[in-house]
Formats: sequence, C-alpha cells, structure tokens
Amino acid sequence: MSIVPKETIEVTAQSIGINNLSPDAALALAPDVEYRLREIMQEAIKCMRHSKRNLLTTEDVDSALRLRNVEPIYGFASGSGDPLRFRRALGHRDLFYVDDKDVDFKDVIEAPLPKAPLDCSVVCHWLAIEGVQPAIPENAPVEVIRAPSETKLPEQKEDGLPVDIRLPVKHVLSRELQLYFDKITELVVSRSDSVLFKEALASLATDSGLHPLVPYFTCFIADEVSHGLSNFPLLFALMRLVWSLLQNPHIHIEPYLHQLMPSVVTCLVAKRLGNRLADNHWELRDFTATVVASICKRFSHVYNNLQTRLTKTLLHAFLDPKRAITQHYGAIQGLAALGPNVVRLLVVPNLETYLRLLEPEMLLEKQKNEMKRHEAWRVYGALLSAAGQSIYDRLKMFPSMPSPPASTVWKTNFRIIHSCSANLLEEQPPAEKIGNDGALVPLSNNSSDMETDKDPAALGDSSAGRSSPKDIRESHSERRQKRDQLEKRILRTPALLNQAWKDDLDSGRLLLLLFELFGESIFPFIPSPEMAFFL
Amino acid sequence: MDEEDIEKAVMTYLKKKGFKQTELAFQEEQQRQHPKTALNSTNSHVDPEIACQILSFSSELENNPAQYHEGYGKLRSWAYSSLDLYKHELLRVLYPVFVHCFMDLIAKGHIQEARTLFNSFREDHEMMHARDLQKLEGVLSPSHLEEMEFAHSLRQSKFNIKICQYSYDLLLQYLHKTQSVVMLGLINEHINFQVSPGQPTSISDDAEVVTFMGSGQDATNLINQKEIHWGLLEDSLEERLEKAGALVPDSAKVDGEAREGEVEENKKRPYEGGKQGASLKKSKKDKVATATGKASRVETSTVSVAPRVKPELTLPSIPAEVEHSILEDLRNRVQLSSAALPSISFYTFINTHNGLNCASISQDGSLVAGGFSDSSLKVWDMAKLGQQTGYATSQIVEDSYPSDSLLGANSGRKSYTLFQGHSGPVYSATFSPFGDYILSSSSDSTIRLWSTNLNTNLVCYKGHNYPVWDVQFSPVGHYFASSSHDRTARIWSMDRMQPLRIMAGHLSDVDCLQWHVNCNYIATGSSDKTVRLWDVQSGECVRIFIGHRSMILSLAMSPDGRYMASGDEDGTVMMWELASGRCISPLVGHTSCVWTLAFSCEGSLLASGSADCTVKLWDVTASTKLLKTEDNKTGSINRLRSLKTLPTKSTPVYSLQFSRRNLLFAAGVLSKNT
Repeated sequence: MSIVPKETIEVTAQSIGINNLSPDAALALAPDVEYRLREIMQEAIKCMRHSKRNLLTTEDVDSALRLRNVEPIYGFASGSGDPLRFRRALGHRDLFYVDDKDVDFKDVIEAPLPKAPLDCSVVCHWLAIEGVQPAIPENAPVEVIRAPSETKLPEQKEDGLPVDIRLPVKHVLSRELQLYFDKITELVVSRSDSVLFKEALASLATDSGLHPLVPYFTCFIADEVSHGLSNFPLLFALMRLVWSLLQNPHIHIEPYLHQLMPSVVTCLVAKRLGNRLADNHWELRDFTATVVASICKRFSHVYNNLQTRLTKTLLHAFLDPKRAITQHYGAIQGLAALGPNVVRLLVVPNLETYLRLLEPEMLLEKQKNEMKRHEAWRVYGALLSAAGQSIYDRLKMFPSMPSPPASTVWKTNFRIIHSCSANLLEEQPPAEKIGNDGALVPLSNNSSDMETDKDPAALGDSSAGRSSPKDIRESHSERRQKRDQLEKRILRTPALLNQAWKDDLDSGRLLLLLFELFGESIFPFIPSPEMAFFL
Repeated sequence: MDEEDIEKAVMTYLKKKGFKQTELAFQEEQQRQHPKTALNSTNSHVDPEIACQILSFSSELENNPAQYHEGYGKLRSWAYSSLDLYKHELLRVLYPVFVHCFMDLIAKGHIQEARTLFNSFREDHEMMHARDLQKLEGVLSPSHLEEMEFAHSLRQSKFNIKICQYSYDLLLQYLHKTQSVVMLGLINEHINFQVSPGQPTSISDDAEVVTFMGSGQDATNLINQKEIHWGLLEDSLEERLEKAGALVPDSAKVDGEAREGEVEENKKRPYEGGKQGASLKKSKKDKVATATGKASRVETSTVSVAPRVKPELTLPSIPAEVEHSILEDLRNRVQLSSAALPSISFYTFINTHNGLNCASISQDGSLVAGGFSDSSLKVWDMAKLGQQTGYATSQIVEDSYPSDSLLGANSGRKSYTLFQGHSGPVYSATFSPFGDYILSSSSDSTIRLWSTNLNTNLVCYKGHNYPVWDVQFSPVGHYFASSSHDRTARIWSMDRMQPLRIMAGHLSDVDCLQWHVNCNYIATGSSDKTVRLWDVQSGECVRIFIGHRSMILSLAMSPDGRYMASGDEDGTVMMWELASGRCISPLVGHTSCVWTLAFSCEGSLLASGSADCTVKLWDVTASTKLLKTEDNKTGSINRLRSLKTLPTKSTPVYSLQFSRRNLLFAAGVLSKNT
C-alpha cells in the first residue's frame, strides 16, 4: 500500500531494542513515518533549489532535518567526491546496506597528502556582443547545421503573432567568415609562396571560430585537387592547408575526413604531380605522407578501418608493377610514415622481389633514360630509409646488452644513430638536388649535355658522401665482396650471434635480410652495440 | 417498508452529524406521534420511494468508501465520453473532484481505499499537477490533512472553474440522473463555477480557467481590486535628466511632436556623441539601431508616460558625485530594442566544487559576489581581475589586499575578498545601488551587512526564525527586504536592528522577492505558487498573482513600474500587469528552473537565465502592444516573442544584471557533470 510497510517499522524497532512492539502500533506508525519522510524530502528539495542545484545531496537532507529541528544524520557526507552507495545484500532481493569500506589507519597516515583543491575563481568573457555570440572557446560551439524548424511554424500561426519565418537555410555563415574563406582560397590558388600565406596557415591552425568553414574547405580542397593535378604549387598549398586544419584544436574534422582523404591520398600516389620538371613532387609526396600519418594517428580510434583501408590502397600501389615508379615512391613513403611496424609487416616481406624488379631500372646499362634511373634510385633510397627505420625500431626494443655500461653507451648511441639517420635523410635531398640540377642544367643549356653528365668525371665532385648511380653501382660490387667476408665472419662467431638472436630471432633474420638486400647502407640504422655483434 | 427502519436511519444520521437540537426535536415529535400512530396506523402513509431514498442516503452516509471510487470512476468515464466540444471543460472538473475524493476518504479513515483511488486515477492528472500529487501522496492519516499546509488550504477554499452554460447543464443533468450524491456534494462544496453564456472556451488557455484560490476567490478579488500607484517616483534622476534634456533648445526638431519624443531625441544625441569618442566602430551600427528604435518609440511614447507618485518612505539622499556619475551613465545608455540586442559579459565561476549557492553582480558590473555553502561570501573585483588576465597565478601572489584582517595569513594569494561571519550556507547576496555595501542572507536565519570599502562586517540583522532565502536592497538603497522559510517577508532599514514591517500571508516559504521601482511595493514569490505584492507602508497585501504551476524562483520589475515578470521551477516565465493583476503572457521556452530575470533599463527587453544553461532575451514591447490590440479577443494566448537564445558552455545562469548603460552582466557556475 505505501512505501513504508509495517514490517519496516518492526525491523527498526527490533534494531533499537524494542522487541514487543504491538502490531497495531507498527501499523499506526508506518504511515506517519512515510509522511515525515516525505516532509523531509520536500524541505530538502527546497534547500536544493535555493542552492541552485538540480541534484539532491546529503547536505540538503541535513539542512532539511535542521529546519525541522531534528538532529542531522552524520556520516553520510557526499563532499569527498565518492558518494556512498547502497549495495544489495547477496541472496536478498530487497535488503541493502551501505558500502562502507574498512580503511587501514596505517594506509591513511602513510598516504601522501591529497592535492589541494583548486581555489574558486571567476573568469570573464563575452557571451554576446550586440546580441551575436562570438565564436570563442568560452562559448558553447555554435550549431553548425541547424535543422529547419518545421514544428514551430504552425504553432506560431495559431497565435496570430507576427511570425518571422526562417528560410530553410541549413548553414549560416557570417560575413566575416565568408570574407575569411574567400581570402584564404585566393591565397591558396594564386599566392601560395607569399608571407601572407604562411600567416594564413598559422591562423588556420590556431583560430577557434573556423569550424563552420570546414565543410567549405574540404569541398574546396577536393575540387582543386581533382582539377589541378598538374599545378604543383597549388597542390602543395592545399596539402599545407590540410595540415593546418588538422593542427587546429578547435576544429572537429572527423565528419569531413571521408571527403578529405581521397584528395590527400591522390597527392601521395598520383602518377604525375605537376607538369614541369622543376616541380619537386618528391617533396610534396614526403609532406603528404606525414599528413596521412598524422591523420591515421589521430583518428584511427574513431574510424577503425581507416588505417587498414589506407594501407591496403598504398600496398596495392606499391605491389603493382605496372604503376609508375613515382607511385611506388609515394606508396612507400606513405607506408613508412605509418610507422616501422607497418613497414616490417608489409614492405619487408616484399622487399626482395621488388628490389629484383627495381635493380634493372637502376643500372646504367639497362636503363638508358636518366630520369627513369634517377627515379629508381629515389625509390631505392626511400625503401632503404623505410627498412632502416623499421630495423632500428626493432633493435631498439632489444634491451639486453651483456655489458653493464651498455645503457650509457646506448643513450649516446641513440643520439648518434639519430644524427646518422638524419644525416642520411639529409643526404638524400642533396643527392636529389644534384640529380635534379643535373637534369636541369642540361635542359637549360643544351640537351646534348645529358650524355656528358653521365660521365663519372662530371659527377666526380659530387661523389664525396653522395650516391651517384655509378658510385653506388661500384660500391655495390665491393659490398658484395665485403658481405661475403662478413658472412664468413658470421659463420665464425655463430655462438655469439646465436646468443643475441635467442632474444629475438626474427629481428636477427630481418637484419640479415636487410643486409643482404641493401648492403652496408643499412648500417647507419643499426645501433653500434648490435653492429658490434653483427660484425 | 418498515417505518421503524426509517426512523432509526434518520436518528443515526442526526446523531452522526451532531444535529443535537434536531435530534431532540425529532425524538419529541416521535413520541408525540407514536400514540397517534398506535391509534390509527393507517394514517401514516409513507411514500415508499421517499423511504427508499432516505434509506439509500443513510446507507451512503454510512461512509461506504466504495462510493467514492465508483462515483469518481463513473464521472470520469462520462466526462471522457462526452462531446468533443465540451469535453475539455468537463475534464477540468475531474481534478478537484479527484483531490477531494481522496481527501474525504483520508479524513474518514479509509486509508486503503484512498490509496487505491489515488493510484488508479493519478495518471490522469500527472501532467498538469504532478507536484501537487506528490505532496498529496504522502498524506496517510487524517491528522496529516490538518498538518499539511497544502491539504489544509485545499480543504479551506474552492476551486474556480470557468465553464460554459451548456457544459454546466450537462454536468448537472448527469449528476442528478445518476443520483451520484457523493459527487454532487463534493462539487457543490468545493467547486465554484463561473458559468458563462455562449461557446465553450478554447482548450489552450486552461491555465487561467482552473484556478485554485488560496484564500478564497472573493478575498483575492477583493485584494486585487485595491488601488496601486505603480507610477515612477517624482523627481527621480531619470526625470531630472529628461527635464534637462528638454531645456536644451532644439530648433531642428519639429515642435509638433510630443514632449517625450523630444526628450528621447535629446537623450539620444549625447549618447551618440559619447559613443563616437568611445568606439567609432560601433557608431554606424548604432545609428541604424537608433533609427529603427525611433520608429517604434514614437508609437510607444504615448504609452510610456508613466504617472508620477510620491515616495512613501523617506528616501536617502544621494551624494552629488554619485548622482553625477549616474547621470553620466544615463546619458550614455545604449537604447535596446528587438533590433538592438545587448552585449552580455559573462562571469563564470570555476572550481566551486558545487559550493556556490548564489551570485550577485553590482549595478556597474565591477564587483561580483558569490555566496557559498561553506558559509563564506566571496567578492571579486572584476576591474582588478581584468588587469591580471594572462598571468593570473603569478600576479595574485604579488598583489595584496587591504583586507588582511579578514583574510588571515594567506590573504595575499587570493584574487577575491573573503567575508566570513555566517554560520550556515549563504543563500543570497545583494549589492547596494552604489556598490558600497553588500547584504547577505544565510541559513543561520541572519542577514549581514558588509562594507566593500572597509571589507568588514557592519551589522548582523536577526529577526527571522528560519533560513533567509532572499534579501534585496531597495532601488534607492538604505532599505532592504528579506524573505524566509518562516513564510514571511520583512522590510528593514540599514540603521535599525529590528524589521520595520513583517509581511505575512504566504502559505509556504517565501522564496524570492523584488522591490518595485518606486520603492512603495515589494513583490514576493513563494513555494505556494503565488506571487504577492505588498504595500511597504502599510504592510498589506495588495495583489495576488495566481497562475504558476510550481515554486517561484525569480522576480523582476519593469523599469516603468507597470509590469512584473516571474520565473518558476518548470522554466515558465510569466509577465504580469500590476494594475490589473492579470497575466499578460506566459513565456515558454526554458526547460529548467529560471534562476534569474532582468529587465533592460528602458524596459524593452527581458532577459532570463536558467538552469538549462541558456540566457534568453524576450521582447517586452511587442507583447505588451499585442495585449492592447488583441485585448478583446478572448482566448488567445499572448506570447512574448523570444528574441534570442544564447547557450552557455554547460554553465547554469545564476544571476543577470543590466548596468545603467544597458550592458548585461551574467554570472554562472561551470558545472561539467550536468
């Protein structure tokens, strides 16, 4: 009948030592108890309202009890952040108890002091300026897409009020935002090399009010990429735009990723980017690879299949021998940017076959076209770097070095390796530049010079530390001899290596494989202790 | 039909009802008659039908509790199956009948039956009267009925139902035909029908149709007929400014215009001049705004001539320099209208750990006070805070406030001034009009006066017996009013320890209060869902405003003194006309408690702040004009136009304040878990 049954009264009576409570008394008391409870709750709700809350706390109940001149119930304070909870007793459907944990005194005393709570303070911002909410982080995000209010219209008509009919505009952009958008797109299209564009990128990466523009930007990017594949500066500017948008912490770009990704991937693995030889599309591909990697890193938890789809696309491009070598390069860079694990799992197993295909392209005898050969070397460099990164990462996980000072050595080595790999990476562009120059100079002077350029003498000055095709070819053969020697040495010290490989046979195998494929150029990626073992 | 039975029944009935005299008379008559009947028994011919009725009546009065359930159930199904046109009118009768059935059963001790009745029919009324039902649900014995203020007032008074002639006839016909005496009795006893000829009223405005009179309909009507001088004070600063403006020769103006028009023009010109100096950016927009504003104002100018009244209180004098600064503010006031919305500066409290009970902002927005549940009152000087922004943490350590005595050892580290003195949660704080005093009211039933200049407690006013929910300075300062859980509101002056007036009459807690602009009246909102207006001089209740469906949380008075706005727990805001005591328009839009309301300084906008984390702006002029034009059209709801909804970032809005220059200040607590 009511919330408080007479059994409750009886139980309560027993718990305070009254054993012979007459059933009549219990029956009479029960409704009264319920009434009093409700009364207290009513007062508690009043207290809650005056504390301007929507959540009833134990303090409210306490103050309600005080209002009724009843002693408050102690021990139920909810202030500590961990509210008391009632738990159901095992085996009983409607028996509850307060979950009161035993606390060890020692633990309490020895526990470090809790952090002092932050003191309360007041911050000030503009909620509206002349009725318009500025888009600042302090304000609630403006609803980007406002559904047309269909339900309201008939209701208002009924009232006979002056109805202000809202046109079903889905997306309202302020004039300022429109201007901003126009300015940015103009910069991207026409003046992407100006200082202003750099500032625009900085603004895109930091301004908080840009969210309404994101759909427009994604559309713009998709359009421009599909139409302007031959316009290299535009593509680069677009990718920088994407990068800036990704950097902006106030923009939720997730809903637009599906529109954005195709354009970005296009910039990575397209056959031709730009139509002039001077266009450094390698750099664009490198940059796009980092963009792709950062997208994957940030949103792979939101879109589970993002990375798998991406790697599938890239791997497909990489393994298709019919694709242009530039596409291969893009695919490799993209995969490499996704992390050493991806490289190890997807690239390395295919390395051998791929290199077999690549080798003829790199050799002077087989591939007469300077450009093609150069491209092939480019791809070789990318592969080397990717494989090197992965092996380095693999070896880094190798913790057990037998010698005690290893750890200190390790650190220094680490830096060295870093600088080594950095050097190597840096080495690539100059080589590239030379290659480009080599290609450029003849173009600008006369095309017959191309032939002379092939002379080792012409490139001789650049051979120091750089890899001209011929040099490498020569060193390649040398390496082969060296490798034979090394292998002999390895055979001589199988015990040592076995010990090292016991920990991780795979990485050892990987190392060997890479060494077989790349020769000594893989060494800069290998920390010297391992190197020592290896040698 | 046995005659004896009838007589017995009549006897028991009389005994039961305590009609002792009648009983005696009856007995006498019986005895006188008995010999006669013995003589000629054929003489007494009893109509069997009458006897039957008497018997059935008596059996009913044996308190057959099933009667109620059955009767109500029948009435309900009849009402639901009635003609669509009259259905909604007839359905209105159900709630009062239901409530009284329940209470009758309780009163007669049929608890079990009362429960079943309540539970079987409560869904019908859940939507409209959820809170009342919750209260009634707890009533479990006759004594509770006596004790509970709500039940008590229900029993004491009548429901008022507007109903059309035909519906009324239908109802009576039904009741007579079915001989449901119990229902008929209930309806006669507790419902007051206002029968109107003609068509039934429309469904929509039933808010006003079923009204429940706390002190009886007549009393309220009587009260609401009292005269109210809602006009503005004579010789107020605004008036002085207007006069000064009128003295400025203005040859360019067409003299045919009314005085007000001129005044407003003049008011506007210095404003524009000042504005140009301040910010050239805005001036263009402002001109547009004033141009549109002008058009609307010419229309309203005939309305806005508020009568002037004499103050009933002796008013404190205003220091010359303060007066000067106010005049300066008034000259620089931004004209707001539906086309020119205000700028809103929002003060967000952070890291309050659920401890902030109230926030208050001084007239000029420079000081913000927060009352906390740990009994402290903290005051922030926003002017100083503004200088510190950016490197707050390092800055706070450096500056030291003069209030060391209050702050204790670590005073230098705080960005606020801490006022300690209360011994219970602080529920309300208010700044004096010039910002030099703060009043705070607390759960410890005291009100304390603090000086912001000296940073110290000056007076502790004791008088209330229970927590003081709200305290408000009068618009001129010096006087203040407080409202409390003890169901009274009190008027105080700063220089006296004892209250000057005690306003008693509310049936439940007085939750909020507000001064009228001319200081002659205060309005109080209560948990009994009514708002009352009290004469400060006589302490009498002069208006009762009925219409809210839940506890009233906030009140605001329009600057022309004509209107009042009240906001309740459900999120409804109501606009009232003081003179008539009628509701102009319910403002529906908020979904949770309306904590605060504020009129803009010229009264064209109403701002409301709510627990649903929004600030809404409403157009006042549009709605009041609408009232005038559509006054004769009965049955149409006038809704104020909601101009703008400004969502905050999960920050319930605790307080709103228009500065004299019409900048809106708002304060709220950042609460992440809601």
